[in-house]
Amino acid sequence: MCGIAAVLYKVQAGDQRHPVGRQLREMLYAMRHRGVDSTGVTVCGESFGTDYVARLFVPGENAVDAKVITEAKKAVMGIGGSIDSISRVGSFFRVGLDFKGDVRILADAILGVPGVEIHSIGRSSEIIKDTGDSYELDRRHDISRLNGTHGVGHVRLATESQVDIRHSHPFWAYPFPDISVVHNGQLTNYHTLTRKLQQRGYRFQTHNDSEVIGVYIADKLSQGIKLGDALEQSLDDLDGTFTYVVSTDSGIGVAKDRWSAKPFVIFETGELVGVASEEVALRRVFPENVERFEPQEHTVLTWNVALAPVIGGRS
Amino acid sequence: MALRKADQRVSISDSAGVVVDARKLTTREFNVRLHALLSQGKTRITITNPEARHNLGVGLLQGCRLEFEGSVGYYCLSYCDGIDATVKGNSGWGLGDNLMSGRIIVTRNVGSSTGASMRGGEIIVWGDAGARTGISMKGGTVIVAGDSGFLTGFMMQKGRIIVLGDVGSAAGDSMYEGIIYFGGKVKSLGADAKIEPVDRREQKEVVGILMSAGARLEDIPRSFKKIVSKKKLYHYDSLEPLERDRMVI
Repeated sequence: MCGIAAVLYKVQAGDQRHPVGRQLREMLYAMRHRGVDSTGVTVCGESFGTDYVARLFVPGENAVDAKVITEAKKAVMGIGGSIDSISRVGSFFRVGLDFKGDVRILADAILGVPGVEIHSIGRSSEIIKDTGDSYELDRRHDISRLNGTHGVGHVRLATESQVDIRHSHPFWAYPFPDISVVHNGQLTNYHTLTRKLQQRGYRFQTHNDSEVIGVYIADKLSQGIKLGDALEQSLDDLDGTFTYVVSTDSGIGVAKDRWSAKPFVIFETGELVGVASEEVALRRVFPENVERFEPQEHTVLTWNVALAPVIGGRS
Repeated sequence: MALRKADQRVSISDSAGVVVDARKLTTREFNVRLHALLSQGKTRITITNPEARHNLGVGLLQGCRLEFEGSVGYYCLSYCDGIDATVKGNSGWGLGDNLMSGRIIVTRNVGSSTGASMRGGEIIVWGDAGARTGISMKGGTVIVAGDSGFLTGFMMQKGRIIVLGDVGSAAGDSMYEGIIYFGGKVKSLGADAKIEPVDRREQKEVVGILMSAGARLEDIPRSFKKIVSKKKLYHYDSLEPLERDRMVI
């Protein structure tokens, strides 16, 4: 079935960040009945001390043997990058690195190492996804300590592909930094879309239908098309049922299919916007009695983060 | 919204009733508690902290007065018979699914598939309704003071939907019988649906239903139109061109 959630703070003063990780944990826990297989979040608007943070996953026994990560480090250094830090939780590696070239080159270098999968590469965001519910995700990966300006999250009930970490959401839109997607629904023209994008040089790490949405959107963005317009075009180009949320470095966008098949509710104030598949998720984090709004079919909505400049305090 | 003026008539809480705090109970415990209270003759119940959770108040088959102090989730008050309930907040999808008789009032907005497959009774929404309102209704009345969404009255078989505001796209798609009255505009009609005018007698009937539901006369649209089935689909009246030529009519 799947459930999706997102939160975005509209204005920040300077370095101010918000407890996005904790809020997503709560919202996703309230919707765990929609997906018990796995949980994932993208926390956006973080401040990294390096050019990028790459979240890597080394499945199976490969992780036990540190050789794979050594190979990945060599690959990064081989293209002129440098590793600043590596932290590890089981098969998951968080790598802070500096690299001045195209992210595609960086991603391909890492993917060239057998046994390594990339969950995300971002300048200001990272994807953490694992099996279990959001509290287990927090226990293992400390997501409640991640603060940012916005974020998206997902609970998964696998329908179109396997139950495993690789096929969990959010999906990073290779090779574009800081773009991810969470999706509730099923795409029926997945193969056609994937083929078209592969012919243009994009590569996919999974056979999951939701992964193609992120690449589709990122491809539009790279052509200079604005997020709202890209989402509008997707309403016609994507066939199937969907409510999906895209996160970029500067905001989020939502698209809802023409059948109003998958639920979506919105809570918005002057300060922030919270969205989720079900109101029960919103009520867990936003207890004030502000109205929740349910958009109808064939809808696209976007919100942006405005980083207010710090000139002698709040502007 | 037109029906909100009826506030006073429906929200007087009863001090002799029982209060159930939903926050402390699992869904199963909550429903078991309600059933137990009803079987003990404690039929006036106030529910606090529903927190938009799902499946609250399912399968209640005897007369009772329920008040939810907050929003409810999906399938609230489904499979019920003879209840009199008010939700002071929003409802999620599937409110009053399979209602046999009784009345459910929601003071704000409802999600999709409100009153799905209901057979009798009334569901009254003071705000807006989502998609597929009254899907597959088999009787009873759904009243929406605001707007109703996409595929309103989808596959309706019997009963009435009365929308004081606007109705969304594909209205009345694949209706068998049943009537959708609307006071505003329709975005588009669904398959096998058509719009008909409402005569004076029928208008008075609709106004009467709305006033019994708590609306004030001055808030009710002066003239409703209705959406009904063209009745071509289920009579299989769509012939292939060759068949049509051969038919002797």
